Amino acid sequence: MFSYILRRIVGMVPILLVITVIAFLFVHLTPGDPIRIMYGAEIDQETYQQMRAREGFDDPMVVQYGRYMMNMLQGDFGISYRTRSNVSDEIIRRFGYTFVLTVLSMIWALVIGITVGIISATRRNSWMDRTGMVTTITALSIPEFWFGLMIMQIFAVQLGWFPTSGSGTWIHLMLPSLTLGFGVAATIVRFTRSSMLEVLREDYVRTARAKGQSERVVVWSHVLRNALIPVVTMSGLQFGFLIGGAVVVEQVFAWPGLGSYLIDSILNRDYPVIQALILLFSFQFLVINLLVDISYAWLNPQIRYH
Amino acid sequence: MSSTFRNWTALAMTASLTVTAQSALADNEVVIVIEAEPTSMDPHNTTDSNSATVQNPMFEGLLRFNESMDIVNVLAEDFVYSDDATEITFTLRSGIEFHDGEYFDADVVKQNLDFVRDSDNGLARSSFFSFIDEVIVEDDYTVTIRAEEPNSAMASYMAHSSAAMKSPAVITRKAEDSDYNMDREGAVGTGPYQFVEWRDGVEVSVEPFAGYWDADNAAKVDRIVFRPVQEASTRVNMLQTGEADLVFPIPTLNASQLEGNADVDLYTGPTTDVFYIGLNLEQDKYNDLRVRQAMNHAIDKDALIAQVLDGYGTIADSAIAPNVYGYAEQDIYEYDLSEAQALLADSDQADGFSATLWTRNNTEFVSVAEFVAIQLGELGIDVSVEAFEAGTLFDMLDAGEGTDMYIGRWSPGTGEADYGLRPNFASDRVPPNFNNSGFYRNETVDQLLDSALANPNPEEALDTYAEVQTIIYDDAPWVFLHIPDAIVAKNPNLHGVFVLPSGNVHVSQVELR
Repeated sequence: MFSYILRRIVGMVPILLVITVIAFLFVHLTPGDPIRIMYGAEIDQETYQQMRAREGFDDPMVVQYGRYMMNMLQGDFGISYRTRSNVSDEIIRRFGYTFVLTVLSMIWALVIGITVGIISATRRNSWMDRTGMVTTITALSIPEFWFGLMIMQIFAVQLGWFPTSGSGTWIHLMLPSLTLGFGVAATIVRFTRSSMLEVLREDYVRTARAKGQSERVVVWSHVLRNALIPVVTMSGLQFGFLIGGAVVVEQVFAWPGLGSYLIDSILNRDYPVIQALILLFSFQFLVINLLVDISYAWLNPQIRYH
Repeated sequence: MSSTFRNWTALAMTASLTVTAQSALADNEVVIVIEAEPTSMDPHNTTDSNSATVQNPMFEGLLRFNESMDIVNVLAEDFVYSDDATEITFTLRSGIEFHDGEYFDADVVKQNLDFVRDSDNGLARSSFFSFIDEVIVEDDYTVTIRAEEPNSAMASYMAHSSAAMKSPAVITRKAEDSDYNMDREGAVGTGPYQFVEWRDGVEVSVEPFAGYWDADNAAKVDRIVFRPVQEASTRVNMLQTGEADLVFPIPTLNASQLEGNADVDLYTGPTTDVFYIGLNLEQDKYNDLRVRQAMNHAIDKDALIAQVLDGYGTIADSAIAPNVYGYAEQDIYEYDLSEAQALLADSDQADGFSATLWTRNNTEFVSVAEFVAIQLGELGIDVSVEAFEAGTLFDMLDAGEGTDMYIGRWSPGTGEADYGLRPNFASDRVPPNFNNSGFYRNETVDQLLDSALANPNPEEALDTYAEVQTIIYDDAPWVFLHIPDAIVAKNPNLHGVFVLPSGNVHVSQVELR
């Protein structure tokens, strides 16, 4: 197991290297000029050229990439063009915000998703199952920004229970995390339900029932444990995608995490920030995948890694 | 802020989130919500109005613009031009202290101006001050700025927000250590408020400066917090719940909804932005003046303002807006489809033509572009709208290849005619220089612009600017559209805010009562 994890970690290195190249090319080949976007036509051509030279834009791409890699290997992701803050410090600070938001969203999604999924599967074709399925399809179809603005309108503007946006306290986190977790919860409901239904038809479930175990024990220790394996995979991947959803939700709720940072930096062609974030998100995906694979072994001791 | 929300927040603070730092909520705190994060705390390295708005309570210059864009004295007691307008001499106030305890005098003015205009220091506003030849310290409180050439706009330049005075200690430190981050740490001015902190994506906060020199204009609240919130609907919601005291900009649609709301004060007034459709005059189809005039007559500007801007705008009756110094009203191209059709029928494009209209991809621009496309369609010009993200569009226009029609917006940062006209119409500003993306070339316009700037007599300079505007309006290198209103919404208890037509919002005098 240990050597398996080690091999997986070593295997990440070439992937990340390729990603640095892609990220670098992505930002430098995208049309748009950070200096022009930031200062508009308020600076003259001479100042513009000087600023380009100062940021090293006039050097050949290979030189720029080399410089970027050299700095990065020393842990220096550069200074944001837009806000002149240190990118590494800023990412660490904002990672905290996005992490808390994503984890809480995932908790909502898992609690709601698995509960409704189990109810739907065990009471298949009941009114509860049908209501659950209609709700999940609706939830999957609603765009996050619209849903976010709707619950903001209801719970913040009309009822006044929560602040509309911003950060600083736990209650600031409620609306954005519910918005973000909502769509994922729907996916988890559907996965849990179908996976449960499949397992319920297995021979060992019939055997368990035949030997007289209560339905509660059958569902909780035989069905659920096996049915959860695909749910775990899917949840892990959804966790990665939540970062993508966080881009929209953070924007709507002015949550100062990595998602809003990414939007700002792309619109402003803030190269150091975009590059660092692409690398971070990729790394995050790799780590989540690894954790998902490891969790299989924990959930199902029959799975062994070599 | 409503008391309900304040109690709420106070309750919630006990269960504070570990990843976030807490800001103490002062009793008399004003929250201002802006559209985007500032880019710098250094007025000499700022060209956007969000940053200027945030810097405003902390910094002062020798002069400033008041609400009606007139020049008033601040750190200067008086100023006088030399007879030939090559020099302007300021008498300075004495006893003025910076937030770090340094004192303001003529040497500080020289140090500031010499540092910003030295292009080796890499500040965005260096070219703004390129008109200066030398800054001469006459005595402790008298300083003269000598221009390269006669320049009657010097006082306007010195009233601009980027002519603010920074502490000499900050500049000295930057000169000694080029790694010193002046953009984030150099917010030391003489204004009524001093810098507290800037948390990216969260807020910039300022607090009263006890040593402020002008008792009449001293700070009136305990704290001002600026929060960037990009989503316009969220900004409006924040105002309605009392989480924000002042919010801008407000989209026109939200503004019309807020108008009946007694809990919200809505302020609207014309900006100095001019919206226009630029035409690439290097394309044969726009060669004939009658084609360009026909296009101008084909657009129903009143309908555009009523339908697309919900009424929040005025017709652009010159290439610059009425609030710009040097503006001269022109006879507008009245909406008259039959006249437009007649003009087009007489032109070399009698059968009409097809064109591509480039626009930014935000709602404001796209809806204007689509309106224009429909109206030009009635004239017989088949326009297809192509939307691009702003940065991409700048690149395409600066490259100057494949430009056909494009929708543009221009506001002169200096608030005067030269900056309103030169970048858009001078022959040497065609791509890759900015911003004459339509390749308009007119020697008379070039000469008149130069002579107006060099004219020491303000009256004569104004006449020349009027003449240039007439030539340009008649030449119709643009389809002139509209001047949008600035829309600011605030808590009715908040007083002392004023909005410059340039889009800078002045909040240094805000109070809650």
